[in-house]
Amino acid sequence: MNFFERMQNLDRRYIFILVAVAVILPLIFPLGLPTYPTPPVESMFQHIDAASNRKDKAILMSIAHDPSTMPELYPMEISMLRHCFERNIKVFLIGFFPQAAAIAEMALKEVLEDYPDKSAGVDYCNFGFKPSAIMIPIILGMGDDISKAIETDAQGNKLENLPIMQNIKNYDNIQMVVEFSGGSFGGVWITYARAKFGVDVGCGITAVIAAQTYPYLQTGQLKGSLGGLKGAAEYEKLVDIFAKPQKTFSRKKLTDKQYLKQFPLSKTTYKYKKARIGMDAQAVVHIMIIVFIILGNIGYFVMKGQKK
Amino acid sequence: METFGVWIAAILTLFIFSFLYKENPFYRFAEHLLVGVSAGYIIPYTYYNVFVPYAWNPIINKHEYILILPAIIGVFYIFRFSRKLSWLSRYPIAFSMGIVGMYVPLTMQANVLVQMRSAMLPLTNINTILIFIGTVSILLYFFFSKAHKGLYGKFTSIGIWFMMIGFGSAFGYTVMARISLLIGRIQFLLKDWLHLMK
Repeated sequence: MNFFERMQNLDRRYIFILVAVAVILPLIFPLGLPTYPTPPVESMFQHIDAASNRKDKAILMSIAHDPSTMPELYPMEISMLRHCFERNIKVFLIGFFPQAAAIAEMALKEVLEDYPDKSAGVDYCNFGFKPSAIMIPIILGMGDDISKAIETDAQGNKLENLPIMQNIKNYDNIQMVVEFSGGSFGGVWITYARAKFGVDVGCGITAVIAAQTYPYLQTGQLKGSLGGLKGAAEYEKLVDIFAKPQKTFSRKKLTDKQYLKQFPLSKTTYKYKKARIGMDAQAVVHIMIIVFIILGNIGYFVMKGQKK
Repeated sequence: METFGVWIAAILTLFIFSFLYKENPFYRFAEHLLVGVSAGYIIPYTYYNVFVPYAWNPIINKHEYILILPAIIGVFYIFRFSRKLSWLSRYPIAFSMGIVGMYVPLTMQANVLVQMRSAMLPLTNINTILIFIGTVSILLYFFFSKAHKGLYGKFTSIGIWFMMIGFGSAFGYTVMARISLLIGRIQFLLKDWLHLMK
């Protein structure tokens, strides 16, 4: 049995061990590979950033996933909350699945550790869990009056009595709705909130469905998208180099090495760089998979040639 | 208490990973535990966050008796399990279908009309030319009333290439997604459990 025959019949458990090693080593010994933000992520960042310090605008984060997709989506949620708190942007959270409401609560708790001055009902409001069965009536109702459609927050407080709702009436005051999901890319929001009320929609999604967003980005029905761990890593970087130091987004600064040197990854708290650390391992595994595919193909053609 | 939770999560993660070696009782235990805990979590959560605020409280405390009617229609779903009375479950299904009809115009607008308009752009640059060739060749590939032969067949095969590129990008993203999930779990094991990461 020659090398290629062995490769073709290799026990898949050896591959699993190699993948595990390729993931573990870069996590323990980070490579510090650079992250380059892509246009859909830049667009999302800029759209949200445009609501900085505005009392009449808010971001609505719709959490629509369970813990199984948290490795990809949770770093996005953490980064977006951090962005909003850094730039004094009002933020609402809503969960249409029981587990999603718990994830929203968890993300808020984690980010609030670094922003003790931010208060519930003033700077942010968690609408809590709303049954998915009435998702569409809620989405349509928010076009008229958010307080009436949602009624109470997660703690049972009447929305209309909360200070955060001053100057916030309906979608005219929502800068962007961002859906975080492992199965859809904000389709319900695009169909009902955007088509009827014109609100801007963005999405944070798992990489599995990221390719489906491009036709909607092209038509502008999606204003931005964060695709998988890479999207999360890119957003983390933008928050680190623009929102945190209170700078306006600039594409020039993204390539300015002197400017970027001011924000080394080592200075960032782990929770705000989790996706970027993960991307090191991602890159190593991708290279390994490419090598496997090439070897597999060479082996296939060599063996095919031998049979002839 | 948090440390205890981390240990439980880490051990269950290892139980699940043990399936990669081969099927075993530890994997099955963790799998069944997940199913049981999920159901156990959802049922009371739904009772307190859906049934109580949207049915019980309005009917019993606020005396909104009109809600009894949709509540009864909703209960009809349960008759799916009865051979004799399963016909009753068709009423809530019919009601749901009626609501779907209401959403058709908005769905057409967002998912068909706006998308079609963006595919009908003047051919002024390479991107719009590629979109034009890709859209037309793929549409013709799925037109089966004419045999895919000769020049027509060659043009439709361009559609296959466009689709293959699309599938390739989707596959690449899928690989990234699956590896990301593994990275997430390994990060948990190395950082939260073993404290090996800075």
